[in-house]
Amino acid sequence: MALLTDDDLGSWNAGHIVRTMFPLLIGLCVIVLWAGISLNDADALLDQYGLLAVMVPAMIGMGGNLGSIMSARLSTRLHLGTTTFDPTDQVLWANVAGIFALAATVFTALAIGVWLIGQVVGTGLRLWQLFVISLGSGLAIAGVAVIASVVATYGSYRLGVDPDDTTIPIVTNVVDVFGMIVFLAVARLVLGG
Amino acid sequence: MGPKGVFRSLYREALPVLLVALVGGLFSGLVLEGMLDSVAEFPGLLVMVPVFLATRGNVYGALGGRIASGLHQGLLEPRFEWNDRLVNAVIASVVNAVSISVVIAALSWGVLRLLGREPAPLVELLGIMLISGTLTASVMIVGLLGLLFAGYKTGRDPDNLVGPIVTTLGDIFGMTFLFLAVVIMEVLVG
Repeated sequence: MALLTDDDLGSWNAGHIVRTMFPLLIGLCVIVLWAGISLNDADALLDQYGLLAVMVPAMIGMGGNLGSIMSARLSTRLHLGTTTFDPTDQVLWANVAGIFALAATVFTALAIGVWLIGQVVGTGLRLWQLFVISLGSGLAIAGVAVIASVVATYGSYRLGVDPDDTTIPIVTNVVDVFGMIVFLAVARLVLGG
Repeated sequence: MGPKGVFRSLYREALPVLLVALVGGLFSGLVLEGMLDSVAEFPGLLVMVPVFLATRGNVYGALGGRIASGLHQGLLEPRFEWNDRLVNAVIASVVNAVSISVVIAALSWGVLRLLGREPAPLVELLGIMLISGTLTASVMIVGLLGLLFAGYKTGRDPDNLVGPIVTTLGDIFGMTFLFLAVVIMEVLVG
């Protein structure tokens, strides 16, 4: 095949990709560091209830997944010219309802999954405690994911930036931070840690 | 499509993918739980966990998005070949992934010092991040490209595959290699 010069490569040039992405990566690291510090400070709680540590990556990851689904839907509709950010837009609310229905299903499954792991490993958290922790923080995280997606997509749109490039990293990382804080707060509330 | 159709199609399309991601998340949760014993030896390790996982998503999500667009535009063939664009994209994601791993270690260490905590020596945190960052990069890149190419060839839209592949592979391999890096560091530190 023919060799491509730097000009041909354009936005595919490795140096160009690193120069545009690396500052964004550092910024996102600084944001998520907050989640890390919260997790670090919950050391004692995690030592006492190991099952909470089992929940952490799924909890955080799921918030990010819900946020990126919502953002992708919003920005696609924006590109197609069918989103108006009108609060009476029924399709917007159907998407929001869909996200909450998904959250309710997945976080119920998470509680049951973690409970089953607890039965095998033999560390005791009751099923109702896991339900309250998983669904309580999960639905709150879904709410944060929806709000963050709408704000980030609308913000990109107003600033004239393509939301495809910006919203997903912003939303997933913001949801990571809130997810961790909400999850640990709800767990402390339920377990009295 | 009316609001009811939108609701139904969203739920039906997303649920299977989310359930797969949930299994990946539970697996990495078990690894995290197993790593808690090492936290006493490497204070600051827990700070790096969410940042490390989030960064995997950011770096490889961007790579996947770029590859998906390249496939759609006909700039890339769905196979491992010496294509200048593909090579540049892969090199950029390795550079980004490894350099950001250094930043994560330095940032976590620095912030903990500022907050008056006692983190593990910087060189130990750096070692853990470099080992896990490099190992994760090799598996993630081969796995992500392989799955995207295979998906594209079987008629799936790579745009819809990137997110779930990155989350699931990133969770599983990110945590596994983080654990492995901690074990290697424990041996090195003695």
